[in-house]
Amino acid sequence: MTGTGGRTLSLIVGLLVVVFMAAPLLLVVIFSFNASVVMTFPFEGLTLDWYRQLLARDDFWSALRNSAIVTLSVGIGATVIGTMASLVIVRMRPRRSDTAFFLFGLPMMMPPLVLALALLALFSAVGLKLSLMTVVLAHLTFTMPFVILIVTARLRDFDHAVTDSARDLGASPWTSFRTITLPIIRPTLFGAALIAMALSLDDFIITFFMLGGGNTLPTLVWGMLRTGIDPSINALGTLILVCTLGASALALKLTGYRG
Amino acid sequence: MSNRPRADLGGGALMLPAAAVLGLLFLLPLVWFFVVSFYRVSLFQLVPDMSWANYARVWSDYLGPIAFTAGMAAIIAVLTTLLAFVVAHLIWSRGDRWGGFLLGATLLTLFGGYLVKIYAWRTLLGREGIVNATLTGLGITDAPIDALLYSPLAVVLVLISYLLPFAILPIYGSLRPIDPTSLEAARDLGANPWGVLRDAVLPRCVPALLTAFALCFLVSAGDYVTPRMVGGTRTMMMGNFIESQFGLRMNMPLGAAMTFSTLLTSVAVIVAAGLGMRTLLRAR
Repeated sequence: MTGTGGRTLSLIVGLLVVVFMAAPLLLVVIFSFNASVVMTFPFEGLTLDWYRQLLARDDFWSALRNSAIVTLSVGIGATVIGTMASLVIVRMRPRRSDTAFFLFGLPMMMPPLVLALALLALFSAVGLKLSLMTVVLAHLTFTMPFVILIVTARLRDFDHAVTDSARDLGASPWTSFRTITLPIIRPTLFGAALIAMALSLDDFIITFFMLGGGNTLPTLVWGMLRTGIDPSINALGTLILVCTLGASALALKLTGYRG
Repeated sequence: MSNRPRADLGGGALMLPAAAVLGLLFLLPLVWFFVVSFYRVSLFQLVPDMSWANYARVWSDYLGPIAFTAGMAAIIAVLTTLLAFVVAHLIWSRGDRWGGFLLGATLLTLFGGYLVKIYAWRTLLGREGIVNATLTGLGITDAPIDALLYSPLAVVLVLISYLLPFAILPIYGSLRPIDPTSLEAARDLGANPWGVLRDAVLPRCVPALLTAFALCFLVSAGDYVTPRMVGGTRTMMMGNFIESQFGLRMNMPLGAAMTFSTLLTSVAVIVAAGLGMRTLLRAR
């Protein structure tokens, strides 16, 4: 195969793959404004009816409130706990930090169903009642690894001579962290928090088993999916998309994270 | 001295909350779940009679579903990893706007709504969906194809579409440190592109390819939402059987034994895949 022919072919395959990944999301957004109930072209005119129908539902507002509580708690909790661990991990010798990465990374590889059922079994054994609190605890386990990954990568690039000088000049460890390290890594922390929040907001399987009663936005989508064709799912899907995509786009900008 | 900060700020104590989350909310539940898989259930209560009965039942009654699930997961993981490598390689080899566009699109689809994607695919592949409308409109088929939706094929399509960004990113991460210009030298000296790819690029991606494969396999093997929403009533994967033990049937020990049997099978497949990749891509 010649060089240019191969390059063109691989570009075509690459673009088709991206269309395959992104098309469903684009269609949900487009059809949330379509007047027809059926999701087919041609378009029958623009409408905001599906959004109006969605906002008129009481269960939408309670689900939004629950999702906001869970997402914010997970964002703050995972970022604080994950950052504290990252501060220790960067100080480790390479072999030990590899082990720490492996251990803390395990929850990322576990299928959500397994994590959800194992937690359900434990919580029911110790008699912990299911609530938004148990959802937050469960979400901490799989969002924290992402925070540790992102924050540790940032701390590795960090010039530690700066904090060492501050310490030599008599600053306490806490003062040097608060006045030097924190301002420098702050964008990364916001980015990591937003990624944790996007992951938490998008989770359905774990939330479904941990929630006990009520709804979050994904469990509300689940309920609507089971009732059949309802175009306000497109509107709700678009709202969730705007939140998670907005949060992750902002996060990627803040962290400069590339893969 | 390397660029490692000196030990201060509370020493290792800062690690405690994260270690507590990992230990109490991940390792402990899994250990307990494993113990429960040897219990039995009587009148909706767990009875701690340690026995292999649950596993014996899983390996006699659910051998077919386990094999089917492993087969589906293997197809999905292999195809996703291959396609992800093509895209990751493209992003890496193209420093231009196309590369940036592909990377941006990948990163953005990473977080975009698991249920929403499944819902979108369900309407896309349905009788009146866009795929069928296009096929009949172009005269490729006379009537809409019902088998697009509610079939194992639909499960494969939807899961590949969902998992691709998760596979592309680690593979791209492993390609990024490789300098494309160093490979041009090999090409200038007469090595063909496939030879460069096989001898210089692929061996360095083995860990990332394996990570992508493992992630795709585990997520597919443990999923129950996609088979239920687009697989139809005949596409029952282990995730569906496991989930039903916690819903209607309320047999937690059997569900736990199913879970660990599926995990064990998955780990065996992943280890085999890892060994296969190593011998195939390194022994030269």
